This record gives sequence, structure tokens and C-alpha cells, in this order.
Amino acid sequence: MNVTTLAKPLRGVGGFFAMSVDTLMLLPRKPFAWREFVRQTWFVARVSLLPTLLLAMPFSVLLVFTFNILLTEFGAADFSGSGAAYGTVTQIGPTVTVLVVAGAGATAMCADLGARTIREEIDAMRVMGIDPLQALVVPRVLAATFVAVMLSSVVILVGLIGTFAFAVFIQHVTPGAFVAGITLLTGVGDVAVGLIKAALFGMCAGLIACYKGLFVAGGPAAVGHAVNETVVYTFMTLFAINIVASAVAIEVLY
Amino acid sequence: MSAVSPPYRLQRRLSEWGARLDRLGLQTLFYGQTLRSTGDAVLRYRTELLRLIAEMGFGAGALAMIGGTVVIVGFLTVSVGALVAVIGFNQLSQIGIEALTGFSSAYFNVRLIAPLIAGIALAATIGAGATAQLGAMRINEEIDALEVMGVRAVSFLASTRLVAGIIVVIPLYSVSLISAFLAAKIGTTVYYGQSVGVYDHYFNTFLNPNSVIWSFLLAITMAIVIMLVHTYYGFNASGGPAGVGEAVGRAVRASLVASTVMTMFVSLAIYGQSGNFHFSG
Repeated sequence: MNVTTLAKPLRGVGGFFAMSVDTLMLLPRKPFAWREFVRQTWFVARVSLLPTLLLAMPFSVLLVFTFNILLTEFGAADFSGSGAAYGTVTQIGPTVTVLVVAGAGATAMCADLGARTIREEIDAMRVMGIDPLQALVVPRVLAATFVAVMLSSVVILVGLIGTFAFAVFIQHVTPGAFVAGITLLTGVGDVAVGLIKAALFGMCAGLIACYKGLFVAGGPAAVGHAVNETVVYTFMTLFAINIVASAVAIEVLY
Repeated sequence: MSAVSPPYRLQRRLSEWGARLDRLGLQTLFYGQTLRSTGDAVLRYRTELLRLIAEMGFGAGALAMIGGTVVIVGFLTVSVGALVAVIGFNQLSQIGIEALTGFSSAYFNVRLIAPLIAGIALAATIGAGATAQLGAMRINEEIDALEVMGVRAVSFLASTRLVAGIIVVIPLYSVSLISAFLAAKIGTTVYYGQSVGVYDHYFNTFLNPNSVIWSFLLAITMAIVIMLVHTYYGFNASGGPAGVGEAVGRAVRASLVASTVMTMFVSLAIYGQSGNFHFSG
């Protein structure tokens, strides 16, 4: 391990931080790329919606299945609604959303930007006096954030419906008791925290994807590796943010 | 686009659906071929297999710099294990039974959290890496070159990766399970200050060895699904540098859904209606 191998990841972190700060500084600046924002939002929503629904179902069914085994053993199956709602709103909602936004949206963004970087389109934009951060990165980051918040509500709804159907029709929990239990542990605060978490995740996914895409060097293999790294780093940040945000939320709410 | 007259539009729509159906068939064919030539891969391409096992364990490119696959998988499971401590301890202490946090680690980590998170981590690291490699090879026409040289491309590239994935997942899953347990334990005992004896008592009482073995089965099933999906998308990448990236994205999306649905059905099959769990021993 010489100095250059050690410095490389550090330089990456520094570059990412610098780009994030630049992007956040550019947020209120005019002109805002509305057209690009709408197009990216539509794109991320389009590629994410179906996988989100497909992923939310098994996740929530697994949760309620495992949880109900326990509750049935205690003779407290009527409380399965509480566990399902708490798990879905605070954990599954934001997590599944960002898994999909990262896996579907961020990868495509990174691939797109990476290909443009390799074809030197980004340099051409700079030469023409267009700031790629303002024209490309800001709308993408905002689109990822916006879609993540919207999708997380969809995940929560789908998760609750899925858990309800599974608990009532397959595990024979009383429907009324399930619905009554939903609000027992989960309040407005938890929902708000879940949405805030989703927004944070979406923003990070967008920033990482844009950073990795803009700083690609090499041929097709480099784009592939950049996308791979995007997925890995996004997932890692997601889980790191999730644990901190959950701990903070619990301190604040209870 | 809007200038196209209606009959043409219908025709195009129909041929789109046909192409989609075709792709599904081709995908199944590819999976069959990959599975069929696993024996071939083990017998003929043993050096390649060993190289892939080493590469998957340590990770390739910039990912190796931050510690490789083991560290990434370990990091993800450590963070969810800590989450079990945070949520379990706080929620249980509301009704005064925070002593059972050890139990929730032994129960939820084994059955639910560790397999799911390990699957996600596998798809992101080994899986996406395989798609990126194979996709770049396809774009550079290296796969065609292999076939011209008389090497069986599917068994040399796809089946070897499948076998390597299955072998690598066992130590990786052990690492992830252990790190989830340790994180939950350290979070509960050091951070929240529960006594180690209490935690260990409930943890050891409810840690069911059978469930642990079943959860390894879950992890292996996921590895098989993930490697199959990712090698398919890499093997059939097209469209230049952007195509490789898109293939990685599509593969991650498909394999996340496929492996989670798979986990759901396998764990419903394993634990069944009764749940194979007895609180009273």
C-alpha cells in the first residue's frame, strides 16, 4: 500500500463532497432546468413503479408472516396490524423505495451520464458555456428525491394492503382487529420520518449516480463498473443513513 | 412518431409484444443451458472457476480498494443488525420486556433480515460485477471471439460464475449472519446498557439451529437466482458503453425482484402455517 492507492478513495470522497456542495449551491440559482426535471422525474417513475410494487409485496408479506408466527404463539394475533404497520411505514417503505430508485433509476442515470462523458459530450457542454451540474445534475438529483418520496407512499400503501390480505385471508386474523391495530404504534411522526428518510435516500442516490457518471474514465467496461459502484455505494449509504435516522427518530418521537 | 397511421401502430405494438415473449423464451433457454453446463464448467474450466471464486470474494476494481465483497456485505448486515437493537430494544422497552431483545435478534435476524439483506448485497456486488464484466466482453466482441476459438461461451462464462457464486455465498453468508448477531448484541449491551448475561440467555434459548441451516438454504437459493439473472443480462448486453450500464441496472432490478419473491416462497414452504416455532420450548 503506497500513498497513491491510499489517496485514491480519499480523493473520490472529496470529489463527491465537492460536487454535492456545488449542486446544493446551484439549487436556487436560475435558470432551473424545468424540462429536464420533468423528463427525468417521468423517466425514474416509469422505470421504478413496477419493480417497486413487485418488491413491496414479498417484503411486507415476509414481514407479517414472520411476525405473525410469533404473535400466534403468544395468542396475540389480533395485534398483527400494529407490527405490520410499524414495519411497513418505518422500514420497508423507505428501504424498498430506495432499493428500486437506486437499482432502476440511479443506474440508468449513471449509465446515461457515463456514456455522455466517454463521448466527451460533457466537455462539449462546458465549452459551450453550459454548466453540466446545473443543466444535468440538479434536475436529476431533484427528480430522484421527488420520486423517492412519492414512491415511498405507494410502497407503504401496497405494503399495508398486502399485509392485510395475507394476515386476514391466509392467517385468519380478524380484519377489524388488524385495522384497529394499525395506528396503535404508528403515528403521524413515524409517517413523516419515513417520508423524510425516503427523501434523503433519493437525494443521495441521485448525487452518487451523477458523480459516478460524470467522472468515468475508460471504455464500456468503465461504465459498467461505474454503474456497479453506484449500486454498491448507494446501498451502503442507504443503510448507514437508515440506522442513524431511525435512532434519531426514536429519540425524538418517544 | 404520431404521424404513424393506426394499422402500423397496431402492428408495431403486436410485434413489440411478440419480441417480449421471445425474450422470455430466450431467457429461459439461457437459464436451462447455464444450469445444464454446470458439470461441464466444473470439469473443464477449473482454473477459471478458481479465479472467479477469488475475484468474487475480494471484489474487482475500485470495490476491492474499500475491502471487497466481504466488507460490503458485512457492512450492510452490521447496519441492519444494529437496527434490530435500536428498534427491538426501544419498542420492547415500551411494554417493559426489553430483556427479549436477544430473542428478537435470534428470531428476526435468522429468518427475515439476514437472508434478505445478504441477497440485496449479493445482487449489488457479485451480481452487478458479473453483468458489468460480461457486458463489456460482449460489447468488445470478446464473447464472439471465444466462440470462434471453440470455447463453450455459456459454460465458460456463465456456468462458472454460477458455481463460483454458490461456493462464495456460503462463507459470505456466515460473515453476514455473524456480523448481524454481533451488531445487535453490541448495540444492545454496550449502547443501551443491557447486561450481557440477560441478552445471551434469551439469544441462546431462542437461536434454533434448524432455522440457521434453513436460512443458509435461503441464501444459496438467492445466490443461484441472482447469478442466473445477472449473467443473462451481461451476456446479452447491446448498445455500446451506455448499453453495459443499462444492462447492469436492468439486471439489478430484475434480480432484486426475482430473489425476494423466491425468498418469500421458500420461507413460506420452510416454515409453513405452524411456523416451526415454540415459545414454551
